Amino acid sequence: MSQAKLKKLGLTLPPLPTSTVGSFPKPDYLVEARARFARKEISQKELEALERKATEFWVAQQEAIGLDVLVDGEQYRGDMVAYFAEVMPGFQMGGLVRSYGNRYYRKPIITGKIQWPGPMTVKWWKFAQGLTSKPIKGMLTGPYTIMDWSFNDFYPDRKSACFALAQVIRKEVETLVEAGAKVIQIDEPALSVRPEELPFAIEAMRTVTDGMPAYFITHICYGAFEFIYPGMLRFPVDNFDLEMSNSGLDLIALFKKHPFNKDLSFGVLDVHSHVVETPELVRGRIEKALQVIPKEALWVDPDCGLKTRTVEEAQGKLRSMVAAVREVRQALDKAPKGKRRRIEVGSVVKKRRKKIRKHKYKKMRRRMRHKKK
Amino acid sequence: MELVLANHSSYPRVGASREQQRLRRAYAQRERGEISPDDFSRVQDSVVAEVIQEQAHAGCELLTDGQIRWYDPVSHLAGKLNQVEINGLLRYFDTNFYFRQPVIKGRVAGNGPLVAEDFRYARAISPRPIKAVLTGPYTLAVSSIRQTPVYRQLSTLVLDLGEVLAQEVRALAGAGAEVIQVEEPAILKHPKDLRVLHKALKPLNQAKGSSRLALYTYFADATPLYESLQELPVDILGFDFTYAPKLPEKIAKLGSQKVLGLGLIDGRNTRMEAAPQVLPILEKILPRLSGGLVYLNPSCGLEYLPREKAGAKLRLLKELRDAFLQRGKR
Ligand SMILES: [Zn+2]
Repeated sequence: MSQAKLKKLGLTLPPLPTSTVGSFPKPDYLVEARARFARKEISQKELEALERKATEFWVAQQEAIGLDVLVDGEQYRGDMVAYFAEVMPGFQMGGLVRSYGNRYYRKPIITGKIQWPGPMTVKWWKFAQGLTSKPIKGMLTGPYTIMDWSFNDFYPDRKSACFALAQVIRKEVETLVEAGAKVIQIDEPALSVRPEELPFAIEAMRTVTDGMPAYFITHICYGAFEFIYPGMLRFPVDNFDLEMSNSGLDLIALFKKHPFNKDLSFGVLDVHSHVVETPELVRGRIEKALQVIPKEALWVDPDCGLKTRTVEEAQGKLRSMVAAVREVRQALDKAPKGKRRRIEVGSVVKKRRKKIRKHKYKKMRRRMRHKKK
Repeated sequence: MELVLANHSSYPRVGASREQQRLRRAYAQRERGEISPDDFSRVQDSVVAEVIQEQAHAGCELLTDGQIRWYDPVSHLAGKLNQVEINGLLRYFDTNFYFRQPVIKGRVAGNGPLVAEDFRYARAISPRPIKAVLTGPYTLAVSSIRQTPVYRQLSTLVLDLGEVLAQEVRALAGAGAEVIQVEEPAILKHPKDLRVLHKALKPLNQAKGSSRLALYTYFADATPLYESLQELPVDILGFDFTYAPKLPEKIAKLGSQKVLGLGLIDGRNTRMEAAPQVLPILEKILPRLSGGLVYLNPSCGLEYLPREKAGAKLRLLKELRDAFLQRGKR
């Protein structure tokens, strides 16, 4: 769908482009250095040197594994909202709030007019892009999510806080584009939480992306998509990056009912599991996606950031993913022209698919019943 | 009309100081097997005492134990029942808080007290009355995964949980709870199920003895359900006004047969409400209420705020009441 846009931007990507959601695990030396930095035992400069080293490692890894659109790996970021809130005027870091069990986080507080502090992500983008000839994605957190994950002492309501943030994120997008970024991902994991707020979340994202010469992706973690679908298709981005490997089946059912009309980055790796998926398993997931998404519109990536996995698990998972994509590309190449949308990869797969479909239906019914309660 | 300042339910269990984070450390020690169960519950006891003191100092008149011992509003109760296992994390409504989802494997049954012992402890050390808090049968049921043919129907589970919770209500009434608060945020999203909830609350109402039974909803707009909620077999209704801009008008129009708990203060945001925002609503509502009593409480549990902001919200309740009572006298 947006292939024309990519072409116009001067980007040629292979079919089923592979990418990742953003974060990679931090190597042990960096985890330790961050702890020491927090205790003021090392300087900012010393920490940053290690962050660069880890970024170099991950860019090289992504190239070696054979991914098509790379990320800087966010070795220098902690929390995806706090990273921005810590540097933006208008925010203060708040006290500890429990997220579950014995886990706590510091929730930022909007205490004044939010302002753009100058480029927040461009330095790292340039550094990473300088290490490779493949495109590096610009990585931002969206205005709706920053608003939803912060307290608001200043703006009269959630909507106006969200719009103020949209202005700031827009400026960051402009500087990323100026620096040469052609693919920009703006994460909105909070999007599906309050369906009634979708209209202003869409308006805010329009402020961010409107008229900008870049290919925009937005990542949303699995939530109650059925409540914001198909309304979320009005979100002004080119590509939705959705978590699919766990719960993909009912989303596909949803897409059958109301066609998905954007590009889709289809999550095929479970980031919460230590188990490294086999290429066969990943390939099965991609084939399922191709039942409802035209191949021209499909990207392949993990469900979410890989930062909670070990370095080895992340590498293993990505290798399986790239191997699977290569197999599917070959199969697509061989498929007769007219049948390209519904690829057939041998009779074994066909039979299995029939079985899967039956199972899928049962599982979907179960889930829907559960959701409706 | 008597305006009573009440806490809602939960209270932040850690604060900014190292001392105020002792429970967090104790949890971590327990996970590593470095603390005995007795020492761990002593830490919990001391934090319960600390948050009770804090509420009293803030001017609160009906306190809670802060639900300090609760893992979350769902699994803490469901996990103590027979035939229930506890599963993975799920988002609690539209918050950034996650609860563990119960899996129901067979017919649920009580298996000893749920919170009555905790209530006794809190009551014994508190300078003011303590309100007991339970998550209601409907919210517990819809938050669970039903993996048994016994509960093909959601309603069967809701009713069974009603019976189980009625035993707890009886125990709490016996322990001297003046107010027993049952929380049902989930019902606002499923108005069709109000009849089931009505039926499930009956045994609780029968078990309450001389206690008063309160039903609190939050995290959604209760305005469309206001009339039906008035029909439920409870004595007190608590509302979250932060989601319900039209609710004051509705109450002003229809009045209330029940004592109300007014959640006019946002328990989810750090901003401190100003008098001009709150007092006109009180002026509008109070003349329409009967029973001589109304509770002023936050819109929801205060655990969504950092500790110092939670305390500030309770102090704000007192300031607003003072301002309200003073307004005619100037
Ligand atoms: Zn995610």
